[in-house]
Amino acid sequence: MKKTLVIFAHPYFEYSTANLELIKMYDGVENLEFKDLYEEYPDFHIATFRERKRIRTFERLIFHFPLIWFGLPPLLKLWIDEVFDMKWISDEDHPLTNKDAAIIVTAGGKEEYYQKDGVYGTTIPELMKQLTLSLKVNNIEVKEFFALYNADDLKENELKEISQTIKTKLEIR
Amino acid sequence: MNETSLAFTALIFLGAAIIMVPLVRKLGLSAVIGYILGGIIIGPFCLKLTGNDTDDIMHAGEFGVIMLLFLVGLEIEPRKFWTMRKRIIGMGLSQMVLTVVSLFLIFYVAKWRPDQALVAALCFALSSTAIVLQTLKEKNIFRTQAGEASFSILLFQDIAVIPILALLPIIAKKSADEENQILLQYLPDWLQPFSIILGVAALIFLGRYVFVPFLRYVSRSGMNELLAASSLFLVIGVSELMYAVGLSPALGAFLAGLMLANSEFRHELESQIEPFKGLLLAVFFVSVGSTINFFVIMQDPMFIFSTVIVVLLVKLLVLYGIGKFFKLKIDQNFLVAFALSQIGEFAFVLVNYSTQLYLLSPQLNAQLMAITAITMCVTPILLIINEKFIEPKKIFVKNMESESHEPIKKQRIIIVGFGFFGSTVGRLLRSTGTKATILDNDARRVNLLRSNGFKVYYGDATKPGMLRSAGAETADLLILCLDNFESNYSILEYAKKNFPQLKIFVRAKNRLEAYDFLNNGVDNIYRETLGTAVDMAVDVLKATGMRAYAARRLGRRFMLIDKAMVRKLAKEQLKDQVTFTLKDSLDQEAKLLAEDSHSFDESQWNDNEEYLN
Repeated sequence: MKKTLVIFAHPYFEYSTANLELIKMYDGVENLEFKDLYEEYPDFHIATFRERKRIRTFERLIFHFPLIWFGLPPLLKLWIDEVFDMKWISDEDHPLTNKDAAIIVTAGGKEEYYQKDGVYGTTIPELMKQLTLSLKVNNIEVKEFFALYNADDLKENELKEISQTIKTKLEIR
Repeated sequence: MNETSLAFTALIFLGAAIIMVPLVRKLGLSAVIGYILGGIIIGPFCLKLTGNDTDDIMHAGEFGVIMLLFLVGLEIEPRKFWTMRKRIIGMGLSQMVLTVVSLFLIFYVAKWRPDQALVAALCFALSSTAIVLQTLKEKNIFRTQAGEASFSILLFQDIAVIPILALLPIIAKKSADEENQILLQYLPDWLQPFSIILGVAALIFLGRYVFVPFLRYVSRSGMNELLAASSLFLVIGVSELMYAVGLSPALGAFLAGLMLANSEFRHELESQIEPFKGLLLAVFFVSVGSTINFFVIMQDPMFIFSTVIVVLLVKLLVLYGIGKFFKLKIDQNFLVAFALSQIGEFAFVLVNYSTQLYLLSPQLNAQLMAITAITMCVTPILLIINEKFIEPKKIFVKNMESESHEPIKKQRIIIVGFGFFGSTVGRLLRSTGTKATILDNDARRVNLLRSNGFKVYYGDATKPGMLRSAGAETADLLILCLDNFESNYSILEYAKKNFPQLKIFVRAKNRLEAYDFLNNGVDNIYRETLGTAVDMAVDVLKATGMRAYAARRLGRRFMLIDKAMVRKLAKEQLKDQVTFTLKDSLDQEAKLLAEDSHSFDESQWNDNEEYLN
């Protein structure tokens, strides 16, 4: 498996049921580092230098977060703002080159709401444009995109199934 | 009895304990066995070292039992006690009745004299508070199902001693000699039967209106040894009072402890009485060993040992049945049955009293005494059998996992020092409903805080033992907020050595104190002069026109760098190059601060991993 960094951001994790179950799939996986942003930077003061230094050592980034008011959790947005440097793009030695990414988003709303003709009139991949675009501009290819709907009502066995699917697709062992 | 002989006897008793206990502990047995063995060795049948003072020594030892119950009372809050009442009566009463009836029938069938059979049955139904509680404490299972059940049964037995004492003269068809009931004789006849209620009422009254104000008065004098004196005064005083009213002193001590369980002096009393209790209990067990009369055993070993086996079996079966009825988990049930199967120390008292009433012949007296002592020696062995052979069996494995170890909630946090600093910490914790045990040594402040609904205890935490009574053995976090560096430091050292599981948070005034804490392996250090000063600087920066967000980030970064610096300097300090590195660190800081966090010169950071945290 590729050396993986999981960037998990959940501002209200203590109320989560779905993610509580889902992040178990990262337990004890070799070659994988799990970063819980809200636990590591509760005061929103990100150690930029350290993050930049360490990000080089990974081959794959997994962004795992709940959808907050149709957007990224604020700390994840801040993390990207702080860590990704505009100067890199023109750099010879771009630290993010040759990495790929996976995105896992959990949403409370039903799947039919997130349709072009649904209540919200837009889709989750649409809403995640800013993230996918930021990654693309930095030469990171988004290989997998998982959107989970109705997350608060998923039963334990359903969550286990979803975990299994994601693990198989991402080859997390 | 002259002084030297008493001192000499005490010396021998202590010597026996000191030599034997480490030996048995090495073998992995309970200390109680060691004491009893030590007693047997110094007794009249081995080394003949004990003189004629054994009765006095035994009497002193009984104070150990009294103090043990006082401490148990301190640990239980009255509310908790009240919720246990059904259990105490249910389990306790059924245990007494069933055991007495079955033993009486067996003895009767074995052609004992009916009155003697009844007396023996009554004496043998009791279990040993001292041995069981000591074992529960040793194994740290006081707060399990088994612990609570054992305690309920023992407590009922202690209460039952009173009516049994009253019953014995009736069995003997003699009027009780009221030698030791001095106070009662001054009461009118119609009041005498109510002596129990009167004694308890007096105790409750004393606990409410006398003990606590009295302790407050003493604590204000600020003399520690006075508190030790008044603790002892209380316990001994109460037991003597009970004696005078004709109640069981142990029960009185328990009630006194119960009355003081909610007061701020709880931990202080505990830490003062604890050493006396341990010592006197040791003496008690040694004296049990030394009073086993081997001549009596040798005269009729069949009778003695068959009785021992019968008594143990009956008690075991009754206890097991009650446990099943009260739905104890199977492993807990075995533990209770094995732990409470011996005959208690009150049997010594009751047997002697019955002999005075001419109910028992001196020979039978000696035999019953021997039987009692033997069952006491068997208990630790039974418990080992339980631990080694019964508990590991498959049926128990599931239970052991699901067993909850906390019916009585012990608080997990201890805060030491509740002045301006500690109280801020405590108030924030309280706002989230996080409970903490708070220790402070200013009696007036403790009083004020308690009236505001804080759980604060009076005591000097720098004294070894105080932390232990505050529950440091089972706590998770220790928060040291004392003003005085030396006090914080000495508590820290003591805690690190004795309670390695504690995570320690400590208040420091400045860098120099922080160095010492760091070099002692503490990671959570809170410098008074850092956070607030940085907050101030950030506000000043804002006032000079800097954007608030930029100022805050700068402040945060400064804090991180400063902490990293202190860590580095603490190491340097060990090498004694403070002046050089201090200057060095100031230069570094200036350099680092000159950088805005958006200028990313990574080369500067690559080798400085510790600043990145």
